[in-house]
Amino acid sequence: MGKDADNTSKWQVAALATLGMILLLLPQLVSNGFALDIFIRILLFSFIGVAWNLMGGYAKQLSLGHVAYFGLGAYTSTIMQIDFNISPWIGMIAGGFVAMLASLPVGWLCFRLRGPYFTIATIATAQALMLIFLKFRDFAWGAEGTTIPNLGSSPLMMQFETKASYYYVVLGLLVLGLVITWRIERSWMGYYLVAIGEDEDAAEAIGVNAPRIKRHIYMISAFLTALAGTFYVQYIYFIDPATAFSFNISIEAALVSIVGGIGTLWGPVVGTVLLETTSALLQSWLGSSTGGIQLTVYSLILMAIILWRPTGLMGLFNDLWQRHLDRRPARMRTLP
Amino acid sequence: MTDALVVTGLNKRFGGLRAVQDVSFTVKQNETVALIGPNGAGKTTSFHLITGFHRADSGSVLAFGQEVVGLKPHDVCALGLARTFQVAKPFGAMTVLANVMTGAFLRDRHVIAAREKAREAIDFVGLAAREQTPAKDLTTIDQRRLEMARALATQPRILLLDEVMAGLNPAEIDQAVALVGKLSQRGLTIVIVEHVMRAIMAVARHIVVLDHGQKIAEGAPKEIVENPEVIRAYLGSGYAGAGGGAHA
Repeated sequence: MGKDADNTSKWQVAALATLGMILLLLPQLVSNGFALDIFIRILLFSFIGVAWNLMGGYAKQLSLGHVAYFGLGAYTSTIMQIDFNISPWIGMIAGGFVAMLASLPVGWLCFRLRGPYFTIATIATAQALMLIFLKFRDFAWGAEGTTIPNLGSSPLMMQFETKASYYYVVLGLLVLGLVITWRIERSWMGYYLVAIGEDEDAAEAIGVNAPRIKRHIYMISAFLTALAGTFYVQYIYFIDPATAFSFNISIEAALVSIVGGIGTLWGPVVGTVLLETTSALLQSWLGSSTGGIQLTVYSLILMAIILWRPTGLMGLFNDLWQRHLDRRPARMRTLP
Repeated sequence: MTDALVVTGLNKRFGGLRAVQDVSFTVKQNETVALIGPNGAGKTTSFHLITGFHRADSGSVLAFGQEVVGLKPHDVCALGLARTFQVAKPFGAMTVLANVMTGAFLRDRHVIAAREKAREAIDFVGLAAREQTPAKDLTTIDQRRLEMARALATQPRILLLDEVMAGLNPAEIDQAVALVGKLSQRGLTIVIVEHVMRAIMAVARHIVVLDHGQKIAEGAPKEIVENPEVIRAYLGSGYAGAGGGAHA
């Protein structure tokens, strides 16, 4: 048993090291801009999924309004850059704190509601924020949005000549998100989050201050989501309310986590890899044929996963791994 | 002996229904007190009021001299009052160990220390062999054991057990009775809501009888089973003194 656990963790370390090497080398091996763009999207949405998963996955507080923090992060850094010429690196952190602060009243309002009401409240908040940025023109360019001045190669202003550099920035963000999740998962907070997700009353009964824990994880989740917002507008050199507060981002954040496996460290990453590659491949194979066929196939895949594997792909992998362990002859497990 | 729990004039109304009316009772330290009465008598509501899940309309609950009415459930638990639920509420996706560790984190946020405390509590209730089992796969009695272990891990001074023996077979009831006895020996003050009379007679030193939200009798088990009012409202005439069969 102990031996098995040792072997499992050795395998994990080996797999992680290999994965790390591949991810680091990937931009050197792939020079195709289109492919690199897909990789950046995968890393970005993995990161957003990881941020969402902290609250939506572990504590099962289904938010469909996370784009609120994505947008706040994007607008904070852009306003700071254009109006005050402050580097987006600083703006990114500032955006994180703005999102954190914004999450307090939203959490205060929304966490009074449970279940679907909570979800609806998060959607409404994100929509309201989009309308604010749409209507108040003096404040942030209104519906037209603005392009971000291109300074050429200026790493200090988060502007790079090669896509590979953006790739490394977003890879760094994803690693940050995964490390934070990993640390939380293994600490008392991880246990408290899962307990709240399983049964809030039972958690309260054993001393868990559920509203406070939910507020805290919401702040962390909002902070990370805002970092993604800054990165995204810097990458596409453009911001407007429809992009920065797009409902699709909220959906995608939840979707990649659910498909990959909520409340698991790697779930959002696995989910994003599957969904983004499928969608990109379908787009290139079927995009030119009958309109909308690639979306139909995409939704069929989604439905299949949710019907047959409600625990997500990580649940499937765990089952298969368990079956593999069970199938090995007993002597292999007991031999020293 | 000092008083562990003093309930005075507790009232709770749900719309037109007076669920708990002017209920008072006192539990001395290290005593086991049973709350009995027919369904809808207000036993579980009293538990909810004491542990902060409902807010009392009026009245007071002192735990070791400290007022708990108005506190949130997690604050009540931090004061040393732990409870179990009538319908067990395990964290189904977590293992038994993780469930109990979650309780232990109240007093110590370090994973290793919490794991040790949790193992102790799991051992105590006799679930050691199930440590790595997901809680949703446990049998009814083991889920009850888990609830007790999880409550114990919060290191309470008063334990409130809500129908921990419902749905158990006679052999399991004997095990549960032994477990409650062991808890009492450890120095815990216990308040137990139960329908299984055989179990109550075995564990309780003092019984409080509720009917329609009101306290109708209180006293030692021997006096209670002979009390005509209690026989009329709850036990029924078939219940001939102590040592009879389990009440359904």
